[in-house]
Amino acid sequence: MNLRRSWDIVRMRLRSLARRQRVEEELDKEVRFHLEQQMEENLAAGMPPAEARSAALRKLGGMTQIQEECRDMRRTETIENFWRDLRYALRSLGKSPAFTVVILLTLALSIGANSAIFSVIDGVLLRPLPYPEANRIVRIFFHSADYPKFPLNPFDFRDFRARNRSFESLAGFTRGDLQLSGTGQPERFTGFQVTAGFFDVLGLRPARGHAFTSNDEIPGNGQKVILSDRLWRHRFAADPNVIGRKITLDSLPFTVAGVMPPGTEHPGNEYNGVAHGETVDLWWPFAFRGDPAHRGSHYLEGIGRLKKGVTSTAAQAEMNALIAQLAREHPDALAGWQALVIPLYREIVGPSERLLLVLLGAVGLVLLIACANAANLLLARATARQREMAVRTALGAGRARLMRQMLTESLLIALIGGVLAVSIAVAGVRTLVSLLPAGFPRADTIHVNAVVLAFTLLVALATGILFGLAPALQAARTDVQDTLRAGGRGTGSNRGHLRLRSVLVVGEVGLACLLLIGAGLMLRSFVNLLRADPGFRPEHLLTASLSLPDATYKPAEALHFWDRLTTSLDSVAGIRAAGVGTDLPWTGYDDNVAGFTIEGKKPPANQDFHARYHVASPGYFRAVGIPLVRGRFFVAGDDMKAPLALIVNRIMARRYWPNEDALGKRITFDDHPKEKDWMTIVGIVGDVKDKPDSPAAQMALWWPIEQTPVSVGNMSVAVRGSSDPALLANDLRRAVRQLDPTLAVANIRPMDDIADANVSTARFALFLVALFAGLALTLAAIGIYGVISYAVSQRTQEFGLRMALGAQAGDVRRLVLRQGVKLALMGVALGLVGALALGRVLWSLLYEVSAADPVTFTSVSALAIAVAALACYLPARRATAVDPAHALRSE
Amino acid sequence: MSKPSDLIQGTLDLLILRTISLEPKHGWAIAKRIEQVSEDVLQVTQGALYPALHRLEQQGWIRAAWRKTETGREAKFYELTKAGRAQLERELAQWERLSKAVGLVIRTAEE
Repeated sequence: MNLRRSWDIVRMRLRSLARRQRVEEELDKEVRFHLEQQMEENLAAGMPPAEARSAALRKLGGMTQIQEECRDMRRTETIENFWRDLRYALRSLGKSPAFTVVILLTLALSIGANSAIFSVIDGVLLRPLPYPEANRIVRIFFHSADYPKFPLNPFDFRDFRARNRSFESLAGFTRGDLQLSGTGQPERFTGFQVTAGFFDVLGLRPARGHAFTSNDEIPGNGQKVILSDRLWRHRFAADPNVIGRKITLDSLPFTVAGVMPPGTEHPGNEYNGVAHGETVDLWWPFAFRGDPAHRGSHYLEGIGRLKKGVTSTAAQAEMNALIAQLAREHPDALAGWQALVIPLYREIVGPSERLLLVLLGAVGLVLLIACANAANLLLARATARQREMAVRTALGAGRARLMRQMLTESLLIALIGGVLAVSIAVAGVRTLVSLLPAGFPRADTIHVNAVVLAFTLLVALATGILFGLAPALQAARTDVQDTLRAGGRGTGSNRGHLRLRSVLVVGEVGLACLLLIGAGLMLRSFVNLLRADPGFRPEHLLTASLSLPDATYKPAEALHFWDRLTTSLDSVAGIRAAGVGTDLPWTGYDDNVAGFTIEGKKPPANQDFHARYHVASPGYFRAVGIPLVRGRFFVAGDDMKAPLALIVNRIMARRYWPNEDALGKRITFDDHPKEKDWMTIVGIVGDVKDKPDSPAAQMALWWPIEQTPVSVGNMSVAVRGSSDPALLANDLRRAVRQLDPTLAVANIRPMDDIADANVSTARFALFLVALFAGLALTLAAIGIYGVISYAVSQRTQEFGLRMALGAQAGDVRRLVLRQGVKLALMGVALGLVGALALGRVLWSLLYEVSAADPVTFTSVSALAIAVAALACYLPARRATAVDPAHALRSE
Repeated sequence: MSKPSDLIQGTLDLLILRTISLEPKHGWAIAKRIEQVSEDVLQVTQGALYPALHRLEQQGWIRAAWRKTETGREAKFYELTKAGRAQLERELAQWERLSKAVGLVIRTAEE
């Protein structure tokens, strides 16, 4: 069809619609002209004028009929009918404002909640990652039964990179924050050491300057750094000549090699983790130091871009083959390991997917309940309008026409509800994002956008059809004679009506119970989480991290610095204990695992004795509040002049010395230990899990800071006060400034905040599911109220009769209540069965609660029945308030 | 549709398009012209003519404009659009084919 013609057609239709009056007049004029021509012809043929006119009219046929047919040809009838239905629907909505408000509010809330949750899902799960061809990016880990996702050893990585055929590029990265000094206040920035090709893997390119090459991986080749756009703007005033400039990071000279464009998002990482997003400010080259034969330490995270057409499974198979190959060359280091290749998308959103889908399910149930409720309300109104429908049918309105009218009405309601829902969604999304658990992936991409609006429209339309269908079918089924004769009530079809509405209400109560049980289970696990003993004392505790640049602090100087810092902090009034250590509870963990020998024991075949190792200063445990189980904490005397001391946690003591006292036992990390290489366990401390909801604590040991073989340049500081820990921040800053004004104190946070962030996922899920469950219960209560009110109005006469025959008000009330509670009971039974069946969905979100928790199931049932009884109470009272004489006459 | 003078719908469209293909005409003139040319065999009733005109207009084959007739009266004149002209060609070809085919069947049946 050519364009011109399409345009003509559209124009004609619009004209027929918009200027109907004019079109009709023209048609009239046209036919009249024809009539006059005919008359003139008749006159010319010699007829008398009157006869000429009537003959012409006769020949023309029915004028109205012609006009009607022409109208049909304009094909605007459907649209005109639609307008008429729409106006009618608007008028009838306006006539019953209470009905309109309830139904619109119900729909707006439930559609809005759906849109809000959907916009989170759209932003987090559906939107592609912000890298070109992101589906080819994968994360690469080592994998074993004990360590499902373990980082790589740099030299293994280098061999993978040289030998693989699956990857277009392969890169490694590891956390390396740097302190910028020289321009203003010293400040520590989140940084990563990256191998050459890191940005190629992501498909990104510096906006200025260039990325690192393999030349930068050679130790001693001069340090380069790439800045984030944010850092470049804030600390370097967007200097266009920044490339090549020398800057001081960790007291070392670095040359600026490049500036990344805005929108350079970190892919997220596991160890010393930084969330996905624009969270990184500095990238500097990873240099391969040390002996390639020593492959025991794993700290490099792998990321790669697959070649076109290569799947992650195929890449994983190749990596496994490479590991087998390398294991032949380095048997001690690589035996027992496998490769794990996961698409980056899964790695980023995987953990939140379950939570989001559960929320979408919950909010979808709310929408279903809202639909049932809307259908119920419409059915109630349809009953009131049965007479009207019957009259219209009697006057010749077709069933299709009546159905269309009812559907127009429900669609109109749904669409207005949808429009209101959008505003609820906009407000809801803002609230949701502010409630999101700490570190939730891609939170910044959550907006109400066109996709969400389209979703809302779709949901509104589907809802309108869904809840409009029952009343529409009902309208089409109206029996004209019955209805007209019965005056619109008390007929057989009304009984069927009540049955349909009862089924809807049972369904509503069932779904609401399902949600309530979900909310109840989440509440129980949240309470469990809060009540669980954290293993340390988070209150009154301030934490921070400090990094001593290698360039200015030799190991001995670093030790001296930590000693002076803790001593000076201890002397501050209001500080009860201060200590430094490599790790803090619940802040993410570094899987530093070391194998060791236990005096007088042999490990089981193919296993070794191992535990995570940490470093602690004498005051560390007291400051963090980890309890001493046996023995002693470290003291100032645990230095190089003293015998080597060690503190282990309870789980390690139990595992390796199951029926003995671990205290005084000795272990060593040396393969051929001399007497001085043995470390004696001087203390056993309580267990702390990685996260509050981790299944169990990991085995761990601590070296005294003065005796540790590992670097002590980066430490976490723990300061315990007696009141609000935020007040201690200035004391801490002052103490550090007095020792070294060039140092930046980073990550100053009260432990309470960290603890809070750790339960935020559970709280988020609980809040939303509880909100939805509350909404569902309210809707179900409205539904029960509606049905029982209707039933009562139908039985007014019967109740009058009963009371006239001597029934007490209480008897009648019980009768009504029984009817309502019966519906509620059926609904509750349905809900309980459903909840048992769906329990597995929730399981992973629960903490120490069975998905079939009897307490939750019982209390939810009781609550639902109580609410149902309450909803019946008003109609029940109304039932007994009628005067029997009046009721009997009411027919 | 038992009267022989009744026109099947598609044919009326073709006749109208053909009749106004030379010059714009108003409804009355179209009906008259069809009757004259067909020597009064084809009678176009007004009840069929005006709906057909409206339909063709809605479909974009013809367009209408109010003009003065020779006698100085206002009348609605119809003329072919470009698309309508192409449509006429198609319908004519179709008609030729159809009538030829019908003719063949009838003649063969006689033998």
